[in-house]
Amino acid sequence: MPAPRTRSGSARPRRRKKVFHRRKVCRFCADSSIVIDYKEPKTLRHFITERGKIIPRRISGTCARHQRTLTQAIKRARTIALLPFVGSLE
Amino acid sequence: MQRYETIFIIDPDLGEEGRAPVVERLVQLIPQRNGVLVEEDHWGARKLAYPIRKKQRGYYLRLDYCGDGALVGELERFCRIDDRLLKYMTVKLADDVNVDEVQAEMAERAAAKAAAEAGPTAEAGPTAEAGPTEEAGATEEAGATAEAGATAETGATAETESTAETESTEEAGSTSEEDESGASAGDKDGDADEASPEDTEDDVDEDDQEDKE
Repeated sequence: MPAPRTRSGSARPRRRKKVFHRRKVCRFCADSSIVIDYKEPKTLRHFITERGKIIPRRISGTCARHQRTLTQAIKRARTIALLPFVGSLE
Repeated sequence: MQRYETIFIIDPDLGEEGRAPVVERLVQLIPQRNGVLVEEDHWGARKLAYPIRKKQRGYYLRLDYCGDGALVGELERFCRIDDRLLKYMTVKLADDVNVDEVQAEMAERAAAKAAAEAGPTAEAGPTAEAGPTEEAGATEEAGATAEAGATAETGATAETESTAETESTEEAGSTSEEDESGASAGDKDGDADEASPEDTEDDVDEDDQEDKE
């Protein structure tokens, strides 16, 4: 990805100041009422991109344990066509 | 004995009559192999996330049952042979299930269901509650006006108080609803941020920078 790098490189000194780290909290740890279930594609949809990829932990902030269960649930949901393997680009 | 859950996707073009024998066959297979059917759950026809055999929709059926591996094998063999079934997936829910416990649970659930059927009248409470309070307000007002008739000044103050109360309760209700909707909207925004490809790119860039330094 050359284009975004040059952009971020040029804007670097300004950006360095602006960088602030929003504390990411695992949503399933914060709210124990959310259950990860492969039969509920609505909750799983929040953790995949439009393209259907699983959003990494690094970005979503999910804890390791919940990311594992989430990954399994998403893969199961894909198997029975509740979630796409490849999403469309909208 | 283990507890399994199998999701079947049945051809939606069969219709009610065409589907019934398939469902019946699947359900009958379970006792034939010494299994116990716990729950038969029809999700109905819904859109598939991707086409299966060029069909965009599928009829979902979930069977929750106890049995052993041979039963699962038999069910899946039937699914592979029968072309009215588009797809299936079996998930093991629990190992070493005690059948008596499961049957007790089934009885409990049946009782809960019976209670829930009687429940709608009880569940109508929240909506019905709004009515009674309003009515109470009205009666209060009526009382206040009656008082006003008796003693003019005190009655008037009572009336204003009662109206103020009703207004405040209404406001409280509306604000709480707004709060909820606002919170949900906020959640959605957060999700959109996380899901947007731009955001992910930015994060990757940041990581790269950190690596360089």
